[in-house]
Formats: sequence, C-alpha cells, structure tokens
Amino acid sequence: MGKTVTIVRNVMEANERRAGKLKDYFAEKGILCLNLMSSPGAGKTSLLERTLADLKGEFKMAVIEGDLQTDNDARRVAATGAQAVQVNTEGGCHLDSSMIEDAIAVLDMDGMDILFIENVGNLVCPAEFNLGEDHKVSLLSVTEGDDKPEKYPLMFHLSSVMLLNKTDLLPYVDFSLEAASAHAKKLNKDIEIFPVACRTGEGLAAWYDWLRSARAAKKQA
Amino acid sequence: MHELSLIESMLSIIREEKAKHGMDRILRVRVVNGALSGAVSDALAFGWECLTQEGDLQGVALEITDAPLKVVCGACGKPFEPEDKHYMPCPACGEILGHTVTSGKELYIEEIEADIPEDGEPATGV
Ligand SMILES: Nc1nc2c(ncn2[C@@H]2O[C@H](COP(=O)(O)OP(=O)(O)O)[C@@H](O)[C@H]2O)c(=O)[nH]1
Ligand SMILES: [Mg+2]
Ligand SMILES: [Zn+2]
Repeated sequence: MGKTVTIVRNVMEANERRAGKLKDYFAEKGILCLNLMSSPGAGKTSLLERTLADLKGEFKMAVIEGDLQTDNDARRVAATGAQAVQVNTEGGCHLDSSMIEDAIAVLDMDGMDILFIENVGNLVCPAEFNLGEDHKVSLLSVTEGDDKPEKYPLMFHLSSVMLLNKTDLLPYVDFSLEAASAHAKKLNKDIEIFPVACRTGEGLAAWYDWLRSARAAKKQA
Repeated sequence: MHELSLIESMLSIIREEKAKHGMDRILRVRVVNGALSGAVSDALAFGWECLTQEGDLQGVALEITDAPLKVVCGACGKPFEPEDKHYMPCPACGEILGHTVTSGKELYIEEIEADIPEDGEPATGV
C-alpha cells in the first residue's frame, strides 16, 4: 500500500534559484544585465550590432547569444569588437540560468559594464525563465502586427522596455505605433517605448540614453 | 515548447524527495498546471512518458490537475474566470487588459504516492 506525501514544490525552482545567484553576482560586480526577447527576425542582433559599435568607447559590453535563427549571430556581434559567446540551447525554445552560468565562465567579466543576452527568437517561452537580469527588453518589428502585445501578454507585461523596430518600413505596412504602444501600456503602465530603425540608426539615441541611465542606476545601487 | 526540460526538473525534484523520505518505489505523482503556466498538459504527459520509459522512475503514473485561470479586473476589481487567456473582457465593465492574475501561473508538484518502509523517514502531511 502506498503512502501519499504532500510536498508542493515549484517545478521552476532550480532555475529560480540559479537566477537569484546570478542576480547577486551582477549586483556585486555592478553589471547591468539585459535579457532581449522577440520573435525570430525582429532585429535583436541588428540592435546589438548598432549598440555595441556606437557605445564602444563608453562601456565595456559583452553578448551571450542564444538565438539560433542564424548560426552567425555571435560572429556578427563579435565583428564590432565586443566579446560574444554562443550558447547551445540544443534546439530549445528559451535560455535558462544554467546556460548563462556556463557562458559567464568563458567571458572576461572584469570591469564589465553591460551584459546583453540575446534570447531565442520566441514570444512565449523565454518570458518564463528568469536569467538574473535587471531588465527584460522586448523588440517588436512593424512587419509583425501591432496586436502582438495583446497576443503575448506575459512578455510585454514583464518588459521594462519595448523597442518598435524597422520604422523605416512603416509606409509599407499596416502597423500603428499608437495601437502597439497602447496595448503594451495597458499590460504594463511603466513600460518605456522607443520606435527605432536599426537599419538607419533612427531613434537609437533615446535607447542609448535609457541604457546610460539604467547603467548609472545599477552602479549606484 | 519546453515541456521536456520541465519534466527533467520535475524528475530531479522527485528523486530528491524520494531520498529525503526514504521511499522504496514511487507509484504516482500529482502535479498542478495553471492555464497560464506556458506548459501544455498533453505535452507534459507525453514528455513524462518519454522520460520515464526506463530507469528508476519507470512506469510511475503522472496525474495532472489543471488549475483554472482566475483574474481580478484591473479597472473595476471584479474577480472572474476568463474563458480565453488571450482575450479577457471583464463581465462587469468590459475592460480587456491590466487584470491581476490570482490563479493560473502555477506549475508545481503537489504530492507523491510511494511505498515507504516502516523504518523510512516519517512523511509529513500524510
Ligand atoms: N528594413 C529594416 N530591416 C531591418 C531592421 N533591423 C533589422 N532588419 C533586418 O531584419 C532581419 C533580421 O534581423 P536580425 O537582427 O537578424 O533579427 P533577430 O533574429 O531578432 O536577431 C535582417 O535581415 C535585418 O537586416 C530595420 O530597422 N529595418
Ligand atoms: Mg539574432
Ligand atoms: Zn471590470
């Protein structure tokens, strides 16, 4: 005859515990860690290429590359001169904290200012796994439809920033910046929204200012 | 989806509990899966089958209890159970977004049924 034991343990607890350790590590070192999430092709790698090149003289930055849409993302990022490490998700739909621990072990973290994590292109799963980051940053491109925040509420609900990318294509698509922003604000009234075009560089100045203030806030804390 | 990695986490929790309580053989495990957890119950069941085909947990039955989505309206405060997790109009005032989720995000192991020998650790909450 079996006995029944009540335990109540969260299935995600191992990841949450590791994420907590990573958070402590980033706090101790004063590193700003950002978790970038979007659909495949929204422009995460393009945003990183621009940001790493433009802020090169200002910050020491590195990238953990988990996006497997193309195998050359890490190479594209490394071409800017920043450190980049590709993690193997083995076809998985998200990064978890143990992969971040492994990646950090091979990066030179001394004097690091900002660590970017490019998550796997997926609007659902990455939002559920904390990586010890300070902020989640979501990207939505104007070719995807302005109802995305409504369809994938968790990701936008948890993000501190939403970048609306590919604004150079606005004249050719049926996308309302206002509608997308309104949906996102309803999910998260404090979300910062920046329309940008990583192709032309338009709008990136506001994103860079946000990065500077987030970095300054982290250093002081 | 990531149900396989969730099952792997579950198996390691179960092995820990097995050792802690001195369980001989595990018969049945019950998990609670919320409607918003991101894990699909059918996929969990399938992943469980795949990962318990052999080894120490071979043949253990998995029972999944689905926890319903419950929210409190962000505009008027009325608690309700939306039928559709992508579209949740409040039955009282019609507000669609900004609700607080009170049930549905959870994914946890609730209980394990096992053979525990007399000299095994006394189980809690039997
Ligand atoms: N027109 C336009 N294309 C862009 C822009 N940003 C990125 N792209 C293109 O979108 C495609 C996917 O970009 P990528 O950065 O690889 O997306 P990721 O999968 O999110 O990393 C590439 O062909 C980019 O050149 C933009 O602002 N405007
Ligand atoms: Mg990419
Ligand atoms: Zn209401």
